[in-house]
Amino acid sequence: MRVVIAEDQALLREGLRRLFEDAGHEVVAAVDNADRLRGAVSQHEPDLAVVDVRMPPTHTDEGMRAARWIRDAHPQVGVFILSQHIETSGAVGLVSQGGFGYFLKDRVLEVGEFLEAAQRVARGGSALDPRVVASLVGGRASDGLGGLTEREREVLSLMAQGLTNRAIATRLVLTERTVEGHVRSMLMKLDLPEGDGGHRRVLAVLAYLRAADARW
Amino acid sequence: MAIILVAGTSTTVFELTSSTIETSWEQLIYPLVVLMLTAVGVVLATRRKDNPIGWLLLLEGVVVVASGVAVDYAHYGLVDDPGSLPGASLAALYDQATWPLLFAPLAAIAYAFPDGRLPSPGWRRVAFAAACVCALAVLLGFFGPRGLDDPYDAVASPLPALPKAIFLPLYVLASVGLVAALIGAALAMRARMKRATGIERQQIKLLAYAATLIPGAVAVGWAESFITGNADAAATVALVIALIAIPLAIGIAIMRYRLYEVDRIINRTLVYVTLTVLLGGTYAVVSLSLGVVLGRGSTLATATATLAVALLFGTLRARVQRVVDRRFNRARYEGLRRVERHLVDLRAGRSAPEQTQAVLADALADRSLELLLWLPDSKEYVDAEGRVAAVDTGDERHVTPVRRGELQLAAVRHDPALSDQPDLLESVINAAGLAIEIARLRAEVQRRLAEVRESRARIVTAGYEERRRLERDLHDGAQQRLVSIGLAIRFVQGQLVSDRPGDIGAQLDETVVEVTRTIEELREMARGVRPACLDDGLAPALHELASRSPLPTEVHATGERFPEPIEAAAYFVASEALTNSVKHARASRVTVSAERSDGTLVLRIADDGVGGAVAGERSGLAGITDRVAALGGSVSLSSPRGAGTAVVAELPCAS
Repeated sequence: MRVVIAEDQALLREGLRRLFEDAGHEVVAAVDNADRLRGAVSQHEPDLAVVDVRMPPTHTDEGMRAARWIRDAHPQVGVFILSQHIETSGAVGLVSQGGFGYFLKDRVLEVGEFLEAAQRVARGGSALDPRVVASLVGGRASDGLGGLTEREREVLSLMAQGLTNRAIATRLVLTERTVEGHVRSMLMKLDLPEGDGGHRRVLAVLAYLRAADARW
Repeated sequence: MAIILVAGTSTTVFELTSSTIETSWEQLIYPLVVLMLTAVGVVLATRRKDNPIGWLLLLEGVVVVASGVAVDYAHYGLVDDPGSLPGASLAALYDQATWPLLFAPLAAIAYAFPDGRLPSPGWRRVAFAAACVCALAVLLGFFGPRGLDDPYDAVASPLPALPKAIFLPLYVLASVGLVAALIGAALAMRARMKRATGIERQQIKLLAYAATLIPGAVAVGWAESFITGNADAAATVALVIALIAIPLAIGIAIMRYRLYEVDRIINRTLVYVTLTVLLGGTYAVVSLSLGVVLGRGSTLATATATLAVALLFGTLRARVQRVVDRRFNRARYEGLRRVERHLVDLRAGRSAPEQTQAVLADALADRSLELLLWLPDSKEYVDAEGRVAAVDTGDERHVTPVRRGELQLAAVRHDPALSDQPDLLESVINAAGLAIEIARLRAEVQRRLAEVRESRARIVTAGYEERRRLERDLHDGAQQRLVSIGLAIRFVQGQLVSDRPGDIGAQLDETVVEVTRTIEELREMARGVRPACLDDGLAPALHELASRSPLPTEVHATGERFPEPIEAAAYFVASEALTNSVKHARASRVTVSAERSDGTLVLRIADDGVGGAVAGERSGLAGITDRVAALGGSVSLSSPRGAGTAVVAELPCAS
């Protein structure tokens, strides 16, 4: 996969480059601000853009704005946002559209998980940091999830992270069939439509969680 | 007063100069009076060329000198050495006939004082008639049927005499006319006084004041003759003072030199004369009546009388001053009363020191009056509310400084007309001194308080800025660096895998986990310092806060943005209140609302817990409350036992 990296801190930028290259991916550009990111994305049309949320000049949400721009200008490019802190409102909305990932920065240290998620996003799937999911599932929405079994809850969380049934099965050491059963019963309990197993599922789950968020 | 002035001066001058028996006093008076008239006349005639009064004074001097010369000439030529001088009888006749001329210039001055013009065009006829009557009187004097008077009655008049039948009716006419002319002069002054304002009024007052010295002198003469049996030394001194004072008063009035002291001089004279009479009377009554009881020459009687006078002095002076003010200076009297009422109200708490400006405006009848309070520290003037006020506003109003001893207290900006009444202005301002000082101190305190408030808000704002910077540093600096280190370890680990996996790899894994934990802790720390979601606004931050709360938390927050310190303060109030609800309230749910209402951000955090919360001094909420107060807001806690707890913060956010 061809990757563009936008990260203003040189050390981390080079670390990310090496991380991708070691895994056999091609880093076509590594830039340090949002304008150069736009240029690089337009020029290289990569599979994935890994973007730091905060970049010069204001260090607030340059990365997020650039992500939205890529979304509009180059919808086929997957965007992976790396953030310093848990931010649910903006990120969750984007994640649920697919082709989008949102991780806290230190998550990249779980190299395997990160690369797997990055590839998922590049293919048009979703990835949401487990801690963000936890804050959604564990927080105010917990009431609505009261009817779910422990296992269903686990499946829901992994689904919200963007994992496929197969990935969930691997993660939970279950058969894919069992996972499918949990998913079906969970979606039914939450009164959600059964998806095709792709990011639309994630969308449904996240929409549910956000609606629960809004209720509280 | 004018009659007294004119008639008194004239007759005195006439008598003194025409008298052939000259005492040493009179020899002194004569040149003194002439000198005074001439000196003032010369000054006025040269400095105020278009005002005829200077020339009239000079003319008066000339007439007086001429009269004096005629008297001496006639006396020498007819008595001392008869026949030695030609025209001595004519000189005697001149002296006898021209007496009306002695007061004609003075009467003219009365008609035209102080600007040299008649009060109105209508007065021209009166003045003309007066001049005609004067001329007629002089002519009749020359051609009278009786010839020369004593001591020259033996000498024949050098001029023909009119027949009595013609002379008498003319003489009556002239006499009546002269009296009428004098009354006219008095009426002219009165008419002018009535409609005069400002400077002109002061000028007339000054002259009138000087003129009252003549009846004063007469009174002294009476008293002296009553006591010593004949009026000489004291009466003459008093007269000299009066005669010098009148031309001097005319000169001062027309030169407009410190005219505004007149009121005060008149006022004080009245007060002290009255006081002297009253105290003298008291002394006399007490010592006489006690003398009757205790025997003549008793020292006890004298001592008691002295004591009575001494005791009476203070209160009596205040009383007399008050009566004089009420009678002769209504404005001052009312003004002082207004200020006194204010001071009484101030002490009783019925009136605020800030109202002093309004009271002064009232007391001085000047609505435009402004009281500017001086702040010595910042060296500027402020109004009663502590707003800085410029002294020089460029308009024509005058500024009078207010002092208390050496201390500069304030300044009063007022209508220029008030400067024409310095006595009123000064006494009212002095009387209000205490109120002004209190108002000044209050303004100073207000200003200091405002400064402290501002600096407190600045400190809190700076604190939030610092938090933001710290949070940035933690996130963008330390955290990123740790992630880089973690990645470097992962890289090393990657290199290892190929040749020597096993223990080292597991150790590196642990190291990465440690790094991740450190990052996690750092992130929590940064959140405590300042949640990054505040960048997106208060509503997202409150939602974020609620999402992390273990209690179901409902958020109704406006999407509006507020100034950063306000949003931060609101967030921390909500955070603290939520923490308290979780920790102490045993609540099942919490509601957080934030909305703008009349330029105020109203934040409300309410739970359904046990209530009974008390805002302790060392509670987390107290610290937050201080920060909110520093931004001009307030935090209130309502926590009835068993009915939940509500924390309401109001933060001003007028934009």
